[in-house]
Amino acid sequence: MIVLVLIIISLFFIINLYNKPFIDIKKSNPELEVTAQEILDDYLADEYSANEKYVDNLIQIKGEIAEISFDKGVSIITLKDRSGFSSIICHMLPEANLNVLKLKKGSQITIKGVCTGYLFDIMMVRCILTNSNFNEK
Amino acid sequence: MKNRIIVILLFLMSSQLFSQERYLTKEGYISFFSHSLVEDIKADNYQVLSVIDKKTGEIAIQLLMKSFMFEKALMQEHFNQSYVESYKYPKATFKGYILNLKELDVQNGTVEIKGILSLHGKEKKISTIANIQILKDQINLSGHFMVEVADFDIKIPIVVRNNIAKTIKITFDLKHKPYK
Repeated sequence: MIVLVLIIISLFFIINLYNKPFIDIKKSNPELEVTAQEILDDYLADEYSANEKYVDNLIQIKGEIAEISFDKGVSIITLKDRSGFSSIICHMLPEANLNVLKLKKGSQITIKGVCTGYLFDIMMVRCILTNSNFNEK
Repeated sequence: MKNRIIVILLFLMSSQLFSQERYLTKEGYISFFSHSLVEDIKADNYQVLSVIDKKTGEIAIQLLMKSFMFEKALMQEHFNQSYVESYKYPKATFKGYILNLKELDVQNGTVEIKGILSLHGKEKKISTIANIQILKDQINLSGHFMVEVADFDIKIPIVVRNNIAKTIKITFDLKHKPYK
């Protein structure tokens, strides 16, 4: 009997949680705001503690565009630092594509997204461009 | 961390020495698929780093577990927190060889890849057949293989045991460009 109750409770719990949505990148406020140089410096200094600080967090990064590419309908913006050792690779959400088309290499932008870690480059997923990129013009 | 800078320097230097022969992608694709009677679970990773040395046939692949994107937020959370413990083991790697890469004289064909997959702190020998396409300035590898969840010491809670397959299909599509 107890087992059955437990199963029912956990089933209820599972179904309830099952459709939990992803965090809304657009509406949520970033937990951290950094420049491309700052986050790269943190990762070059100590990957482990940088992971603790950034991974899984919604962060906002300001930096210069080194490259823009499109792959399978997804746009990828690469932000570079001055030394050129590594870069920040930002995979944009599809909804950002139209705005990405307006961007040029070398311009300063602010990107908001989730950091997943470091593979010689800092990896960002589910990124969007913040409004400030277009209002200032 | 001086060590890290030295490692990166070595990596860059060695890459430059063999720049003619090294092919790289930072946007490789790897997905996994689990089929069960209860549900199908799929996750995509578009941030795979892969390097091929054309001369030796050596291949090294790295990916971040957190870069796997799921359909449902909860699946992603469980995967990272409970199953593969991404905070402890943030990366998965594969190191191995593409056999007889040098002898391959066609543009399109199949090759055998052998190596070791490290995931969740466990290592496992993998051998698979992949499609290869060698173009003027591109080497494409694609294919799939199966892995056993149990081989990587991944514990699935009893409640969801029926939701997750014991054997997972891994699919890869890696388009390498010459490393400059």
